[in-house]
Amino acid sequence: MSSALLLQSLILGILLGGLYALLAAGLTLYFGVMRVVMIAHSAFLILAGYLAWFFTVTTGWDPLISLVITVPVFFGLGVAVQRLLMTRLKPASLTMMSVLLTFAIALVIEGMLGFTFTGVQRRIKLDYGAASIELFGAQVAVVKLVAFGLAVLALGALWLVLKKTSFGQALRATIQHKEAAELVGVDTAKVASYGFGLGLATAAVGGTALALDATIYPSLHWHWIGPLFAIIVVGGLGSIPGAAIAAMLLGITQSLLQVPLGTTWAQTVFYLALFVTLIVRPQGFFGGRLAQRF
Amino acid sequence: MSTGSGVTLEVHGLSKSFGGVKAVDDATVEFLPGKINALIGPNGSGKTTFFNCVTRMIKADSGTVTLAGKDVTRSTPDRIARLGLGRSFQVCRIFPRMTVMENMLVAVRNPTVSALWRGAHDPEQLERARGWLRRVGIDHLEHAEARNISYGQQKLLELAGVLMADPEIVMLDEPAGGVNPALIGRISTLIRELNAEGRTFIVVEHNMDMVMSLSDHVFVFDRGRPIAAGPPAEVQSDPRVLEAYLGV
Amino acid sequence: MRNDSDLQATGRWAGLRRSPQRMTGLTLVVVVAVFALVFPMTTSTGYLLSTGVVILNYALLATGWNFMGGFTGYISLGHAAYFGLGCYTTAILIDRVELSWWLALALTPVIVGLIAVPIGIAALRVRGASFVIVTIAFVLILLLVSQSWVSLTGGSTGIMIPRPFDGLTRVEHHRVFYYIFVAALVLALFVWWRIDRSRFGMGLKAVREDEDKARALGVPTFWAKLIAFVWSAVFTSLAGGLYALWFGDLDPVFQFSILMGAYMVLMALLGGVRELYGPVVGAIVVGLSIEFFKAEFGDTQFHLVATGLLLAVVVLFMPEGVIPAVRGLFTRFGPQASSIREETAEQLAARQDAVGATTPGSES
Repeated sequence: MSSALLLQSLILGILLGGLYALLAAGLTLYFGVMRVVMIAHSAFLILAGYLAWFFTVTTGWDPLISLVITVPVFFGLGVAVQRLLMTRLKPASLTMMSVLLTFAIALVIEGMLGFTFTGVQRRIKLDYGAASIELFGAQVAVVKLVAFGLAVLALGALWLVLKKTSFGQALRATIQHKEAAELVGVDTAKVASYGFGLGLATAAVGGTALALDATIYPSLHWHWIGPLFAIIVVGGLGSIPGAAIAAMLLGITQSLLQVPLGTTWAQTVFYLALFVTLIVRPQGFFGGRLAQRF
Repeated sequence: MSTGSGVTLEVHGLSKSFGGVKAVDDATVEFLPGKINALIGPNGSGKTTFFNCVTRMIKADSGTVTLAGKDVTRSTPDRIARLGLGRSFQVCRIFPRMTVMENMLVAVRNPTVSALWRGAHDPEQLERARGWLRRVGIDHLEHAEARNISYGQQKLLELAGVLMADPEIVMLDEPAGGVNPALIGRISTLIRELNAEGRTFIVVEHNMDMVMSLSDHVFVFDRGRPIAAGPPAEVQSDPRVLEAYLGV
Repeated sequence: MRNDSDLQATGRWAGLRRSPQRMTGLTLVVVVAVFALVFPMTTSTGYLLSTGVVILNYALLATGWNFMGGFTGYISLGHAAYFGLGCYTTAILIDRVELSWWLALALTPVIVGLIAVPIGIAALRVRGASFVIVTIAFVLILLLVSQSWVSLTGGSTGIMIPRPFDGLTRVEHHRVFYYIFVAALVLALFVWWRIDRSRFGMGLKAVREDEDKARALGVPTFWAKLIAFVWSAVFTSLAGGLYALWFGDLDPVFQFSILMGAYMVLMALLGGVRELYGPVVGAIVVGLSIEFFKAEFGDTQFHLVATGLLLAVVVLFMPEGVIPAVRGLFTRFGPQASSIREETAEQLAARQDAVGATTPGSES
């Protein structure tokens, strides 16, 4: 591999990793606050992608503007899903049943997308869609940079919310120790539903970023579930920084492997990492404490 | 009935911390075989964590556990159980969606292929299970689902289930917790009888009357390790014990 | 006084007595079985017969799934992996290794069972959510591999398996496979029933209820789970092998489909995972619905929506399944109406002194 190609792959890997980090952050949030495995997360991503595409097709405006609508709507949707559906599950079987319930939601979303927009592959047409700029001697598509920028912004905003607001504090307390948080007066039920909303809000941003640079179709979400789950398991379930590090590492590895192995086989790196993690260190490499045996 | 009155359980230098808190701190305990051993101590003195580390439900940070001469420090909870150490839990744990009889048939001391494959409807096994149920006094509930019987009955079921594996050493975590005085008396009598048949008992208990009347040897825990040990009468008057309990 | 043993419907140890419900259940099973056996003789409509085969295939898959999901409570959403492996093992043994079809079919569960051992060892190191993730990941990997490894699987162009029986018409082909599937299903149900009644089965169910407690009682939980996992893979792959022989054409997208795994879970859950016939009942209900949706709405995505909604309804409102729900109705309105509650409440007063019982949860 030539050094120019290597550099190119590395930069693409970093850009990809940033996007993965955002997409996985939401999953980690749900798990952290509720011990819920949200299979439908990637279905919501694709839904957001479709909404961005539909928005651009109908208005002719930039898809990024759709975020003004989709982010609050997804937040509300998340709160609703948590309040109306998740709380109905018995605590004893919450983890397993939430998997099935969110799986059902994913199926419904996929089906509705297929029904409304048909199975035809869609792609957002952008003025700058084909443009690329030179970065350290490597050619990088502008849309990838925009997506990465969006991911960084959203993650930064998430970090601010978690670190600087009282809600963020309550949320982190809930993730670390729910009972203790309750003892010091945190309304964990409320935190859980807002945490869910926050998770879905990241899905809105992530899905839009994804759709800038990818062809979307209703069943696309299955291709994202595996890698995203691999990321959060490798990072340690429930740990947002862990997920971000794992996302970066796996994104770069995937990108580097794509040149010699091709796209399909390069994807197996996620699963390989997943299985190695489970055999060597089931609690994840960067999270630790929390996840133990979930 | 059990013949293993001589089975020993020795714990050396056991430690376990959660975060920065040392729940068990370099605890060394040699339980007396064939006797009723009691573990007492104030709340948070690490008794239950000690219990869980010994049975490997929790992995200890350091220390060794020797059961019947075998080092079981790196063993699994199920292997320890099969070596003859049975235990109950602080908050009674039974299998709620299985019948009382099915609960009894879970424990298998010697899980050979033929025992596992035939076992359940083997009249001999059913009769053995019924024997234990009769002994704890809940044989009339054989077909009831375990979640539908009362808490006291569940506690008796848990005990009977542990005994079904015929353990030489029985560890009970607060057998009198959450049950009424009549039942406490009944459980005490049962422990005494079973001990007379050769089973070693290790009991964590808060009920001092029960501990003092029942046990042969008492270990007093404070801040994660035993600070005193001896016959009940002796321990009762030990100044260190008073200090630990009353904070004098 | 001791009449409390014949009213616990859930108590499998009431086997010595024939309660009215038990007789009703048995009669129902016999009626359905007779109908299932006679039905193929009465029709030569290819569509009806092939629908029958499809539903039997679902029933076998769901029953296979239930070896793991039902006994141990470990819910696998990726059991399509073993179905697909079964399909491809049979196909490859016939097409590439050139074995006879029956030898290929016989070897399939053995080979897939062996493959399931390392997978099980990795997957069973974790519980709950992580386990589900691993199972899903495994299907996705196999989908990737089967699409990419064209020299072995034929990739997206697929692989064709010649029909095992020469000179049969299409209808006769369906009919023969119908009975083969019935035989395989009976075998799977028999093994499940045997495990359900064994000491080993008690250990597995204990894992489902409270895994740590089961370990504390000496149940070698890891091995127990692994054995259940392998049995599960064996029967699921058997369904795959039979499907390959019956259908004759494989495509990775259909063989390693997450949707197929979801169907298995839905069927078993809908019927009742604690019940021998639960997955079969679920397979009949869901299988017929799927066929209906496909016939009615064709290739639109409505069947996804319907499956999703049905799964959500089952999870939210009927996690125990149909069979226990129906039995509950019987118990409530049947002639022997009485419940365990009343029985123990009545005895409570009498035994209070003797046993010293307190009501659940009132203390501690």
